[in-house]
Amino acid sequence: MIYLHLFLEFFKIGLFSFGGGYATIPFLYHISQVYNWYSLDELTQMVAVASITPGPVGINVATYAGLKSAGIFGSALATLAEMLPSLVLVIIVSKLLRKFSDNFYVKALIQTLKPISCGLLTSVAIGLLKPELNDIKALILIGILLIMSWKSKRDPLFYILISAIIGVLLVFIKTLV
Amino acid sequence: MSLFKLFLIFTKIGAILLGGGYVILPIMTNEFVDKRNLVSHDDIVDYFALAQSLPGIIAANMSMFIGYKLRGKWGAIIAMLGVTFVPFWCIVLLASVIGGLTENNYVQGALWGVSAAVIALIVLTVREMWQKSHRDLFFYTIFVLTVLTLLIFKLSPIQTILIFSILGVGYKRIREAKK
Repeated sequence: MIYLHLFLEFFKIGLFSFGGGYATIPFLYHISQVYNWYSLDELTQMVAVASITPGPVGINVATYAGLKSAGIFGSALATLAEMLPSLVLVIIVSKLLRKFSDNFYVKALIQTLKPISCGLLTSVAIGLLKPELNDIKALILIGILLIMSWKSKRDPLFYILISAIIGVLLVFIKTLV
Repeated sequence: MSLFKLFLIFTKIGAILLGGGYVILPIMTNEFVDKRNLVSHDDIVDYFALAQSLPGIIAANMSMFIGYKLRGKWGAIIAMLGVTFVPFWCIVLLASVIGGLTENNYVQGALWGVSAAVIALIVLTVREMWQKSHRDLFFYTIFVLTVLTLLIFKLSPIQTILIFSILGVGYKRIREAKK
């Protein structure tokens, strides 16, 4: 049964997520609340690993989530299920090409999906921030990362590695004191 | 171009794709326009725009468009399998290593830092989407309504998307009809 749920959940992500890899996080966040496949802590860990390994983040995180949920078969299933809607759409759109992007409903839908995606991600950011609110060091780190990136955005890899190093250093300092 | 060759090219692309969406366009242009001259530059730019306007993962969508262009349906399937081949095994290997390490203090420290970075990355993604969008009253209204709905009612992302895209597209249709 878990395979069927896994397939359906990741198929839905592939069909409804819009705006790149990180746009799949709201769905994964929702899954962690509905099913007991992985915890919220594991989700951030998954996103981090997905960002520092090669390949599209959205696919990597599906592979990882599938693995956590139902082993290696689950991970292959989740990965393929997430790409299946795209495969069908790409084949259809390839045939229509220009007609597709000029269509009134397609344009209206894209214009509507942009603010919805922003809203979905904003509410996930709020949800993930809540447990961090009593961790002043984490808040300072998030603040520093945001200030650093405000003028010129760098590779996601950069933020993850530098934060991991800071985390290790803080533990090291603590053992010294 | 044989399907096997296509698989190898996309396997290579999957393996060097690091750092999110920024690198997709340059990597694909280099591989298919500059090096092999299989796709025109205009096509690549078209595919990139289309890949972003379809649901799903942009890099995967883009690979499937090029695969389809070169070898039809099977080309698209092979592109999809190729671009995820190396990343898939990287995740499976790394996950099996990480599981045993999480007890370690230093690893926990690193994970603490990483979860802060993930929050910052999500905020940055919102900011980037925000900057790339044409922001009018319509945009702000839908954005605020989405956030409020999600905070107050525990709707799933899909319910939220369905409700607001019907409302949004319906509104645009009515306004278009009035013109």
